Amino acid sequence: MYDKTVRRRRAVLALLVVLSLLLLTAYFGEAPDGRLHAVQRDFLTVVSPVQNGANKALKPVRDLFGWFGETLHAKGQRDELLKQVGKLRRELVADQSEKRTYHELLGMFHLDQLSVSDYRPVTATVVDKSPNIWYSTVTIDAGEAAGVRDNDPVINGEGLVGKVAEVASDGAVVDLITDSTMGVSARIGKANATGIVQPKVGEPNDLLLQYLPSTASAVPGEYVVTSGTVASPDDSLYPPGILIGQVTSVNEESAYKSVNVHPVVNLHNLDVVQVLTAGAGTRAANVSSLAASLPAGQSSGTAGEQLASTAAEG
Amino acid sequence: MTGSGISGSLLARVAALAVVVVFFQIGVVSEVPVFGVNVDLSPLLVAFIGLLCGSTLGAVTGFAVGLLVDLALVQELGVTSLIFTLIGYWSGRLRELRDPQAALTPLLVGAAAAAASLIGYSLMEFMLGVDAPVSLELLRQIVLGIVVDTIAAVPMWLIVRHSLEGALPEDPRRRRRRRAYTTGGLSPLSRS
Repeated sequence: MYDKTVRRRRAVLALLVVLSLLLLTAYFGEAPDGRLHAVQRDFLTVVSPVQNGANKALKPVRDLFGWFGETLHAKGQRDELLKQVGKLRRELVADQSEKRTYHELLGMFHLDQLSVSDYRPVTATVVDKSPNIWYSTVTIDAGEAAGVRDNDPVINGEGLVGKVAEVASDGAVVDLITDSTMGVSARIGKANATGIVQPKVGEPNDLLLQYLPSTASAVPGEYVVTSGTVASPDDSLYPPGILIGQVTSVNEESAYKSVNVHPVVNLHNLDVVQVLTAGAGTRAANVSSLAASLPAGQSSGTAGEQLASTAAEG
Repeated sequence: MTGSGISGSLLARVAALAVVVVFFQIGVVSEVPVFGVNVDLSPLLVAFIGLLCGSTLGAVTGFAVGLLVDLALVQELGVTSLIFTLIGYWSGRLRELRDPQAALTPLLVGAAAAAASLIGYSLMEFMLGVDAPVSLELLRQIVLGIVVDTIAAVPMWLIVRHSLEGALPEDPRRRRRRRAYTTGGLSPLSRS
């Protein structure tokens, strides 16, 4: 009797371990449109409404917990922000006159750039978030039915959040900019030097702007924004000028300069986001497909970055 | 009641608890960082079910909860299932071999489950080729994760035990121990 119990217990364990390994192997072996991926998408479709309902019902609980944490950080943030307000006010005055000149020049040379206004923003609520440090993804309650497509850029009031990685009919999974699979073409505000923003290896909450020319100047506190180019054909074409983060320090160990960037978006506390969708035939869609169709290896001068400038259409 | 003392009522309660905790985890708890990390209730749930119900149900629950997490979060299928299966089995074996009764047991089991989950995840991701060498920040995140999960272990233990109370399988060793304490006849001291 005892032997039988032991045998059964061990058999169950062995069966479950083998089943897990089989799932893992099959999942890695198949294409993104394979059967197991399809099961995941179907599951997402089924549970999205449930998650959405649960999210709305549990929002007060989440807000209550969030309130304690936010209150603790509020004082330090307020002092820091007061300093920034003074600095930004001075910069704003200077920038306003520069902006006027810039628009005059654009009009003079008939140049036009793709901007956020060329996209149709779809507002969505974050309903789920991955709990572990290895997956930086969130699930939102808008999907194909709302016009959301794979690779659509996702932003919120603060800046760039990520891009759509998986779409179901009523929901989608968004890879955050701190996800290990992400790479966003970006530039530093004043230097106008471009590079690629990737998650900082081993530091899941921070970013690294890499492949900057060694001559580019970067100082802590400067802002990093999207450049409006793509890093690879399957990448998202983020409109230029979306705020990504702020430079915290500069590394000059190799031929290329890299800077540490802290995201401006509080990725731990996402509530409402906007997916920038491009309807078929619109200018944003055309530029995106043009970017995706460019052959690999066309470089804009910064290593690894493939040029698909959004200014090319104008 | 099944042959192993696991009743249908227990299975239903475990299933309901697993679904509620997983959705509460990904819908609420994951969005509220504590000391910069997220509390992960899922490994605690699996460990405590193993500790209360034994290794077989612990392993099965671990597999099911892992699969649910991977499906709901569109992660690589099988990774979480494998880790949680081992956590559930290990905590069940702890009960079957040692039957720990100390008040600190849930805390220690919770800490061990959190450590196994976080370190196991990291090892799996390294083996699967994620480009992330060990750094101080990563180690800090893992240690902080274990600390906050350990803090969450006590309320989680109370919730799991309260939810399953009345449907738990009879434990022959506990029965023997209770009898030994309450009847003088079986005590070696009273015999001498």
